[in-house]
Amino acid sequence: MVADQDLVRHLSEASVSVSLETPEMTLNIGPQHPSTHGVLRLVARVDGERAYDVHPVIGYMHRGYEKLSEVRTYPQITTLVNRIDWVSGYANEVPFIVAAEKLMQVEVPERAQYIRLILTEMARISSHLIFMASYPLELGAATPLFFALRERERMLDLLESVTGGRFHPNFNRIGGVKPAYGSGSQTRKVLQDLPAGFFAETRDAVGHVLGVADEIETLVAGNEIILARTKGIGVLPVEIATSFGVSGPNLRASGVPFDLRKVEHYLPYDKFDFEIPIGENGDCWDRWWVRLAEIRQSARIIQQAIDGIPSGPLQAKVPKVIKVPKGETYVRAENPKGEMGYYLVSEGGQGPYRLKIRSASFSNLSILPWILEGVLVPDIIAIMGSLDFVLGDVDR
Amino acid sequence: MTSSPSETETAVHPLQAFADRVAEVVGGVAEITFDTVKVKVPVERWVEIHRQARDDLGLVFFSWLSAVDWTLDVAVGDPPGGEVIDRFEMLTTVGDVSEGKRVTFTADLSKESPVIDSLVEVYAGANWHEREAAEMFGIRFEGHPDLSHLYLVDSFIGNPLRKSYPLLSREVKPWPGTVDVEGMPGSAAEPDEPSEENPEA
Repeated sequence: MVADQDLVRHLSEASVSVSLETPEMTLNIGPQHPSTHGVLRLVARVDGERAYDVHPVIGYMHRGYEKLSEVRTYPQITTLVNRIDWVSGYANEVPFIVAAEKLMQVEVPERAQYIRLILTEMARISSHLIFMASYPLELGAATPLFFALRERERMLDLLESVTGGRFHPNFNRIGGVKPAYGSGSQTRKVLQDLPAGFFAETRDAVGHVLGVADEIETLVAGNEIILARTKGIGVLPVEIATSFGVSGPNLRASGVPFDLRKVEHYLPYDKFDFEIPIGENGDCWDRWWVRLAEIRQSARIIQQAIDGIPSGPLQAKVPKVIKVPKGETYVRAENPKGEMGYYLVSEGGQGPYRLKIRSASFSNLSILPWILEGVLVPDIIAIMGSLDFVLGDVDR
Repeated sequence: MTSSPSETETAVHPLQAFADRVAEVVGGVAEITFDTVKVKVPVERWVEIHRQARDDLGLVFFSWLSAVDWTLDVAVGDPPGGEVIDRFEMLTTVGDVSEGKRVTFTADLSKESPVIDSLVEVYAGANWHEREAAEMFGIRFEGHPDLSHLYLVDSFIGNPLRKSYPLLSREVKPWPGTVDVEGMPGSAAEPDEPSEENPEA
């Protein structure tokens, strides 16, 4: 067995001189990638398993709404703005309409305000349920999707029964709300109102949402793989978040109990009892947990609003042709994704002179180069997903 | 620019104390326009004032930055109702994350050389907002790390949000067009009455 001994000696003498070569390479993610929630492209420099200098490329969905709204009338603009963040289209309309009403000094009937509030919270639930569905999916868990989307569909059906649209309700009017044709009374002479049985069905649906929140919590919070993928990953400190303008659940996950529903008075949230869930560490896990807790709080708000909704008209008296007096204001609202605001400059015409749209996802996404610096490549997906952005809300 | 009549009539606006404090700390002219505190500041002290707002007033949250193109010579939309001075009005809104206080700072830039210092050093989030304002209005931000196009393709020429920039679809098809909307079911008896928006119909 001489040959074998030679081989053994040869192998034992051979020193392993091969160092692992990890040449830097450029990794391109998107624009067409399921985790980009639209069309987002990331260009990253990858060294081994880590990503550096992440450079987001946006604008694939830029539709120029700020320019378009300069040639549209106020009632037409709600059609545009509910396409900004299409996952919660209804919620986008509210701050714009409130801004116009503020300049016109229109007092909106209380019933209309309650209906706006109920539908906004339903939009929040459906937006957060999309997150509950897609985020575990991006981490490899498909089951929560079926639970979440089933209840989201219930919410969207109810939204549709009132507004006539699942995604693009176009439901708010300056001075009130306008239920879909055919809902409420059958004769057009009588005041239109919400469809019969809406409140009973909403109460039922909210009960289902609370149930599915528990189910999702059992499915996800007990999953060790998801915990390992999200705990301590993508930590966002408060100072960084505020300086980038990160708002909404992403900011609250970093431990800031700041919710525009409590401090701005665009809808009568002060009449309801609800909490602001906050996270402890600002990691991906906390961002997931805060949204789950917000679903439960929104359900609470809806239940209270149904109990307390006053009767009365749905529309204040406004001129047939809407002209907004000269003035400017900034109205912001707590949307599912964060702070959504409109800086409205009116010069007394039928349309705005300038409409600056402050969308939540734009600022939330601008954190990416900071938060993705030096993370593992698979964590890119985990962190991006946890920020819950929609590219329509980024690109406007 | 204007404040509502009710504000001038009532004694003190709830935000007046805050507006006075901002004006005192940063040095500028504060006004309250429809529940929005707006402070006009000199363009030379733009960065300094934002630093003061962040450090001395606790307005740590960067909400947004943009501009308004003021001119009577507009290619799209309606011109302003009254006389205006040709200028770009820079706007930023910053706020706190506890009580919901916020202030909108504004400064005027000349049309000939719209240049202003970049806020990236003070608020990191200004980066993208300034890139957007740069491509949309042609404003130059001194000290910005990378003013490349954000939304528009690199080869795009022009600054679309300037009032002088035409909206091409409007050039092809003037507004308003003819009314081709059908009546609602059951309302067929109502004749199409010419509305105020559309005298041609």
